[in-house]
Amino acid sequence: MNTMSEQFTINPKLDFAIERFIDAPTRLVWDALTKPEHIKEWYMPRAWGRVSRTELDARPGGIFRIDIALPNGQEVPNLGCVLEVVPMERLVWTAMLFPGYRPAVFDDIPITAIMTMEQEGSGTRYVFTALHRNEADLQANKASGFYQGTEIAIDQFVEHVMAMK
Amino acid sequence: MVQSAVADDVFYALSNSTRRKVLEQLAVGPATVSELAAPFDMKLPSFVQHLSVLEQSRLVKSKKEGRVRTYEIVPDRFRVAEDWLSARRQLWEARLDRFDQYVKQLKEKE
Repeated sequence: MNTMSEQFTINPKLDFAIERFIDAPTRLVWDALTKPEHIKEWYMPRAWGRVSRTELDARPGGIFRIDIALPNGQEVPNLGCVLEVVPMERLVWTAMLFPGYRPAVFDDIPITAIMTMEQEGSGTRYVFTALHRNEADLQANKASGFYQGTEIAIDQFVEHVMAMK
Repeated sequence: MVQSAVADDVFYALSNSTRRKVLEQLAVGPATVSELAAPFDMKLPSFVQHLSVLEQSRLVKSKKEGRVRTYEIVPDRFRVAEDWLSARRQLWEARLDRFDQYVKQLKEKE
């Protein structure tokens, strides 16, 4: 079997990775990551807004759609395509493609998100990685709060998984 | 793509007021991203996500010249919504006609 390191390389100038140890079975971590009813509980930093709609068809080519509702009433859609699904190991989606692998049209900053998990003792090692096209994209995502928001969301994710136990 | 998935994309695209306003503006004529964004008090990255959703539903299409992207409406695509609605309307109208007929029969029997 291929290991992930053969499939992608993190370049610290372009990418960021956030790693957590979660003291919960990998099965729960996977459910929290992939089931819409769980995603809506942790995906958006609570102080910033909430998830108003989630669709995740967890198979290659499937839709990834998470809509955010902001406190001022605005809704912001997020749309992408699932690339790879290995239950309880990894989920990969990208905003470079529309669902069904259709080449996307966009003017914002696309990422490819890679989420991996591995059993460690009675818990789970979880890593979220965001790949960017170039240094400017990464800097823009850091400046806009995307990076900070992702960190908060991952803390909420860990909290949510612990509450599922 | 199967027809119901196409309708899902179209009705989803129509389900948001920002996107409907963009479609109203594009009905007047093609417009650039910054022209479309101007009426909205929204950060550009958030706004362009809405344009992505519209593009994905294929209710609009865009082209880029230099750094400027221009959007225009794809009228044919609106038929997906229109056809679905008119099929429902025909069904209900036929049902009302039959109801009408039945009430008339009852009246004649009296």
